[in-house]
Amino acid sequence: MPHQCIECGRTFSDGSKEMLSGCPECGGNKFQFRPGGTSEPSTDPTPQMENSSVGLSASSEASAPSEASAPSEAASSTDTLDPTDTTESPADRSDTSDPTGSSRDTPSGRDATDDTESASDRAAGDAGEDTAQASARSDVVTPDELDRASREVEPSDQDDATEPRPDIDELRDELNEQFESIRIVSPGTYELNLMELYDRQEYIISLQEDGRYVIEMPDAWGVDEE
Amino acid sequence: MGLLTNLRDSILRVTDGLFAADEPKRIGIYGPPNAGKTTLANRIARDWTGDAVGPESQVPHETRRARRKEDVEIERNGQTVTIDIVDTPGVTTKVDYKEFLDHDMDKEDAVRRSREATEGVAEAMHWLREDVDGVIYVLDSTTDPFTQVNTMLIGIIESQDLPALILANKTDLSESDVTQIANAFPQHETVPLSALEGENMDEVYTKIAEYFG
Repeated sequence: MPHQCIECGRTFSDGSKEMLSGCPECGGNKFQFRPGGTSEPSTDPTPQMENSSVGLSASSEASAPSEASAPSEAASSTDTLDPTDTTESPADRSDTSDPTGSSRDTPSGRDATDDTESASDRAAGDAGEDTAQASARSDVVTPDELDRASREVEPSDQDDATEPRPDIDELRDELNEQFESIRIVSPGTYELNLMELYDRQEYIISLQEDGRYVIEMPDAWGVDEE
Repeated sequence: MGLLTNLRDSILRVTDGLFAADEPKRIGIYGPPNAGKTTLANRIARDWTGDAVGPESQVPHETRRARRKEDVEIERNGQTVTIDIVDTPGVTTKVDYKEFLDHDMDKEDAVRRSREATEGVAEAMHWLREDVDGVIYVLDSTTDPFTQVNTMLIGIIESQDLPALILANKTDLSESDVTQIANAFPQHETVPLSALEGENMDEVYTKIAEYFG
């Protein structure tokens, strides 16, 4: 199930409207996204599990099932892993000088997990910071780790690698589709999507300073168009 | 003003439908900023009605609202062709107030001009959608015609099956390269002219009568 309440663990299917007004089970309003049910909570214990109290639970509650939160969060954040930001996990504090990194054959999501940990730590203040966290913030990632991190992300992109590159015209059309008709870059600077302006029936007659604009609705006057 | 314009246009559309054969065709003068659209519109209007359409300027986006000159009667070969000329704001994909700062304008005026120019482009594109029966596409023959704006607009005009006359303007300038314009859009006839100096206007009027008569 793609969505899970981090309070009580109840799961929801993708697009479920139940969770829009909070978890019907416990009333919680924090959920995590777990794509495709790929991460089974208990199959992938990592060394830092014992440190999970500094992880997501910092933003949830101490009663949250920690074994469910950490690995799945890691799996879901792998795609956004930023190699330059992969500082050491708390459990690795004594290994940072190891050039081989041989003691770190842990799943790719670990570093990403640490990102969320440090983020939530910052949010929660300095309470409970230990030497591992201090080390994670101060140490520099080694080139070897960077290389490994980049390779570990690759499998998820394999579809892109095998597909032919889209035609440039298709790409432009796709981008044009996504653009607004008028984008206000900054006051006095505008980018216009001509196709969108041409295609839309409404007629923009006035732009406001605050980014709003006034349109003329052809149908508003009860006039038959053509 | 929007309401009145809307009502008037709606009435015009209805009458257009009733008297389609007799009503003058509405010809939009389109092109990128500073191509000489208003200079051409004024030249045509002065030649055949004695009035001008609007102020011309070296500063881009001088025309920020579509201006219409109605019932322009052009005589060619003993026949009279009546058209409404719509001078439209220059079409572009980016408007930046900084480009106006070089033209002796303070920031506040430049930002306002930029906003109005953007509204003008939206208006021009809207006119192109449903309010013109033909297009005179004006290009500055001293500049490269291979731009996104030109390609897109010509493409839209072709997709609408609108008659289009491409004019290579500013032939009075030494850098003018009419061939480059003609090569850019080989599917259309290109007529060179200098709207400012009135060069080759005879051929322009002949082509207007031929295309839009």
